[in-house]
Amino acid sequence: MPSPVSCALLFTLMAAVAPAAAPMFHYQIAGDRPGAWPRILSSAGLVRGSGGVTVVSGTAAAQDPGAWLKRAEEGGVLILEGESPVAEAFGFIADRARRAVPTRSLTDSHNPKLSIVWERTLDVPRYKLPEKAIVFTRERWDGAPLMAGLKLGAGAALWLAISPGEKGQERFPYVMQALADLGARPGLESRELWAFFDASYRSRVDLDYFAERWRRSGIAALHVAAWHFFDADPQKDEYLRRLIEACHRQAIQVYAWLEFPHVSEKFWNDHPDWREKTAIGQDAHLDWRRLMNLRHPDCAKAVAAGTHRLFERFDWDGINLAELYFESLEGIANPARFTPMNAEVRREFNAAHGFDPLSLFGAGDRVRDAAAQRLFLDWRADLARRMQEDWIGEMERVRAARPHLGLVLTHVDDRYDTRMRDLIGADASRLLPLLSKHDFTFLIEDPATVWHLGPDRYPEIARRYEPLTPRTDKLAIDINIVERYQDVYPTKQQTGTELFQLVNMASRAFARVALYFENSILNPDVPLLAASAAAPDRVERSGRRIIVESRRSLGVPSATPMTVNGRLWPFWDGSMLWLPAGAHSLEPGGGKLPVRLLDFNAKLKSLDPLANGFEFSYASDARAWAVFDAAPARVEVDEKPVTPGMHMAFPRGQHLVRVMASKALRAD
Amino acid sequence: MRYVGFALLCAVSSAAQTADPAYAVLDKAYERQRARDYDAAIAGFGRAAELAPKRVDIRKNLAYAWLKIGEPEAARDQFAEAMRLDPNDHHVALEFAFLANETGQQRVARLVFDRVRTTGDAATRATAEQAFQNVDRPLAEGIARWQQALQGAPENFSAHEELARLAEQRNDWALAANHYDAAWRIKPTERRLLVDLGRAWKETGRAEQSIAALLAASRGAEARTAETARLLLPARYPYVYEFRAAIALDPPNVDLRRELAYLLLEMGEKPQAESEFKQIAKDSPDDMMSSAQLAFLLMKRGETAAARPLLDKVLATANVDEELADRVRSALQMPKVLRRREETLKPRDANAEARDLAEKSYKAGYLKDALKYLTIVHENDPLDYDVMLKLGFTSNMLKQDRQALDWFKLARYSPDPSIAGEAQRAYRGLQPQFQRFRTTTWMLPFFSSRWNNAFTYGQVKTEIRTGALPLRPYLSMRFVGDARGSVNQPNQPFSQYLSETAFILGAGVATPVYRGVMGWGEAGAAVSYLRRTDQPKRMRPDYRGGISFTRARGRLLGAESPGAFVENHEDGVFVSRFNNTMLFYTQNKIGYTRGDVQFYWNANLTTDARRQYWANFGETGPGVRFRWAKLPPALAISVDLVRGFYMINKGNPRRPNYYDVRAGVWYAFTR
Repeated sequence: MPSPVSCALLFTLMAAVAPAAAPMFHYQIAGDRPGAWPRILSSAGLVRGSGGVTVVSGTAAAQDPGAWLKRAEEGGVLILEGESPVAEAFGFIADRARRAVPTRSLTDSHNPKLSIVWERTLDVPRYKLPEKAIVFTRERWDGAPLMAGLKLGAGAALWLAISPGEKGQERFPYVMQALADLGARPGLESRELWAFFDASYRSRVDLDYFAERWRRSGIAALHVAAWHFFDADPQKDEYLRRLIEACHRQAIQVYAWLEFPHVSEKFWNDHPDWREKTAIGQDAHLDWRRLMNLRHPDCAKAVAAGTHRLFERFDWDGINLAELYFESLEGIANPARFTPMNAEVRREFNAAHGFDPLSLFGAGDRVRDAAAQRLFLDWRADLARRMQEDWIGEMERVRAARPHLGLVLTHVDDRYDTRMRDLIGADASRLLPLLSKHDFTFLIEDPATVWHLGPDRYPEIARRYEPLTPRTDKLAIDINIVERYQDVYPTKQQTGTELFQLVNMASRAFARVALYFENSILNPDVPLLAASAAAPDRVERSGRRIIVESRRSLGVPSATPMTVNGRLWPFWDGSMLWLPAGAHSLEPGGGKLPVRLLDFNAKLKSLDPLANGFEFSYASDARAWAVFDAAPARVEVDEKPVTPGMHMAFPRGQHLVRVMASKALRAD
Repeated sequence: MRYVGFALLCAVSSAAQTADPAYAVLDKAYERQRARDYDAAIAGFGRAAELAPKRVDIRKNLAYAWLKIGEPEAARDQFAEAMRLDPNDHHVALEFAFLANETGQQRVARLVFDRVRTTGDAATRATAEQAFQNVDRPLAEGIARWQQALQGAPENFSAHEELARLAEQRNDWALAANHYDAAWRIKPTERRLLVDLGRAWKETGRAEQSIAALLAASRGAEARTAETARLLLPARYPYVYEFRAAIALDPPNVDLRRELAYLLLEMGEKPQAESEFKQIAKDSPDDMMSSAQLAFLLMKRGETAAARPLLDKVLATANVDEELADRVRSALQMPKVLRRREETLKPRDANAEARDLAEKSYKAGYLKDALKYLTIVHENDPLDYDVMLKLGFTSNMLKQDRQALDWFKLARYSPDPSIAGEAQRAYRGLQPQFQRFRTTTWMLPFFSSRWNNAFTYGQVKTEIRTGALPLRPYLSMRFVGDARGSVNQPNQPFSQYLSETAFILGAGVATPVYRGVMGWGEAGAAVSYLRRTDQPKRMRPDYRGGISFTRARGRLLGAESPGAFVENHEDGVFVSRFNNTMLFYTQNKIGYTRGDVQFYWNANLTTDARRQYWANFGETGPGVRFRWAKLPPALAISVDLVRGFYMINKGNPRRPNYYDVRAGVWYAFTR
């Protein structure tokens, strides 16, 4: 009688085998030690199921190596760890005659210049590899192989010298990239990401090339640092126009990202009298930002006028009013960085509470007066809220002339890191009620103080905001992909598995995920970013049929036309088929589509193929962009005809669109 | 005429294309760039740069292509290479500086802008001036602002750090060092500042302090900081005074003090080591390793009563390293605890720690330290042949060749064939220098088509080791002969330069070889084995001496990977029997090695002090040298085709130019 383990193994081996070159939807764990593999593999949109990538762990790695070899040769993709009979059968053999390698620093072929350092040194056995193995990761000083792949027949094996760690991101950042190199590329994608953009880093790039790349990596909107364009400059203006056009051609929205009270370098230079002051009386030039005193009426008026002109000069899709509060993360403890302390603020506070807030600092008479400090900090948080409300009002005035504009308020999280209110005046609880009066997206920014914490913080952040607003669909999260000041491992900046886990967990917890910023996303991560943003709930294969269920729109790879729920699906760009949220049944389908929707960057609510075209409903926070394979004969929005074209903009909000071609749909 | 001109133009253009090795690749790269296939264009420009590595325009094209796909660092590096190739191209310098500024290298950018604003042409000077001010002004303003902030709050950590970073970007290293130092003293937990401080001190010429800061950062700090610091430390193991300086800078650094204590222990400075362990036990009572070591020292001295509480504390501490606990139990004569074999990777034990330190020290070139740790590992595991081999190499590099020889001798018995083989080779290489007599034999039989004759040159030389004397006496027997007996011809008094048909016996002295240079001199007699018309006596006195230089670079015969090589042999030789002349030879080969085959070009020149025709000629031409695996290691066969020319033809009975095909075998060995 076979043992339960053998039965499980047999069942696993009998499971459907997906050829390595095909896009992967699934992973499975053979054996009794899944470790962190479910976290790693699901971070790239893979779901647990039969076929796909198989982690050969624990008991499974000790049994029947021949069967696993056969499985790989027939197209299976296996993951092996360390020393085991199965690893040995593939040629990954520990060399016990030689001493183990003390390992702390690594190099990876996907990013050879990247410093990958483990928090603790580990002695890793030295391994002999099969002749045709592709080594991806090595110990930096010794060169001992730590992660390698082997293509075998129609399949492949990925081998790691030791486990990837408890969370899956501590040791080998580029596991998913290595799997993709071996032919196991995750198949499902989402294209709803936002990304911040600073032209300073992209001044000489081919904008069309980049727009295409951004879209392929799942970016739906770019939030462009608008302070570089606040003051007219023919050369810069021409650049921005070309950028916006290139983005629109690829169905990417472009938001103007404003960082008030930083306005622009020129504005700072032109108006020294309107500069914000720190608590030691200096002009508030802090880090890269040059802060202006928006409480000065003339300054505020000039900034508002400039903002209106900014929206007249360019074809923006939205406004992002970001980080409109005070400095700094060191709070009142560091007067050299503490704002606001301009004359207007001091006068206002003095009038309300009877003392100059400057007396809280330096040799002032209220330096140690905790009650006075509390009074001022509360007043300061309230001032931040009033200013935010004022400027939302100003943006609404901009939007009155351009109703297609979306509005985003980027605001640091103060629920997870509750010190933010006192440190910088940020108070989400007083701001979120404004959602009932204004249509905007509340983009929660991770404070720098928690950038070192893992991806599990995102569901927790979402949970803490739920009580503050019924409009959770308007909450978005911003992931800062930057070199962190904390002592973090294995990389200073999030990349590979860590980044994918962050994006994936954030995508599951929030309606929208933004990345700061597009330039800091490292090259090896770009091709898998859209997969990491995919958050499917269920994917099943049954013969030729694939059943997909997701709470958000999803792309499924397909090189041929497919039917969705029995009808030939027109939202197909030749390589990906795009589905609205919900459960769908996909099957290969024949027939010619008279008109196809190649790309669309709004949230697709529904899509119904019609005899002469199709009808879809969508919701979008800003003007939405669609790309068709050819100009439709007729397009209606909410039953009103609009001018058709290959590239079309659709209005902000929730709408129904009917697209009609001249040819009728032919059923095969 | 017009057609002639056109034809000429075509011919010139065609010739230019043919002459440009990168033309075709470059053409394709431009085509791919026009099609916006940037990946292919970059690959093409990269190949073109390899084919024509000195062309600045290719580097620029490659840089611009990188810029198109948003890779400013790669573009910057190409402009850096272009700037190196043509330092006077100010446009390139500006491009580099702008990209350096954009990619976080503001300090370098500022320096280049500063250079171009004073040395460039009018247009680049103006741009550079503007750019320099754009970079420099905010730095200067920032420095002033933070200096002012510090006047009111001298203990403001972030003001010190900001100021230091701005000063570093402005190349004001002294200011930067002051404020990194101040920031570090305010927040000693920010260990990364030690690396900044070390860097800044190094730039201000305070090398010893720099090492102290980096040493402190490299021990016991966060893993990333430690790795960064180790990269910046010099490639040798630190001295005791450097450890002391580092501890003075970073007194709570237990790892640093513990390492110093072990170093002192290794050096036999037990009282000093004990004092350091005591300090650790006082400052960091939780450091069980140091407590145990202190106890061991006390016990060795017979102070069991003083040691006992320390050892008891180690055993009573939860989660103490198992290996350490066993050592303590052993010292207390208690039974060791039986443990299950670890199923997973366990934290590193003390021996592994020593291995790690040995490995790191060896890699980083801290040889004394490596030797110390390897010895510890060897003591713990005396059958680890890999460690013996490492001990051999480390001793060898420390010029402790006698010890090295002993280690290699032991490692030869390793069951691992790769270790045994490596040890055997090292042993063979090192062993001859410890013999009293060392005999070297070389021979070069070859056939010359020009003379239609086979010649043999050879020497057997026995060197006598005389301890530390700078000169080594030797006995030598040379042989210079040919197959036909003699190539002597009438009226050709010095033809013995080709074949002396003699054994030359001599005694002499030679210097050791230093950087390929060796001097020698000998006296003896040449005994001809033939009776020659130009030499009435069969035995003649022979005095000779000279200086020789030999250098070979690149991939030599048998190299694992293919590549270029260059060989130079320069000799100045006085030979009494050649009319007391001084001969100068330069023999050079440049070529390409692929495994056991070398293709090369010869360029030889011979001249003498007396300006004799036979001693003044040049030769050039191709050659091939090869061997195969089954041949003895120092045997190689060569075939050369040379075109020769005499530089002095007065008295030359032959034609001024000649061809010669020479095929020969070179063989040498030492016993």
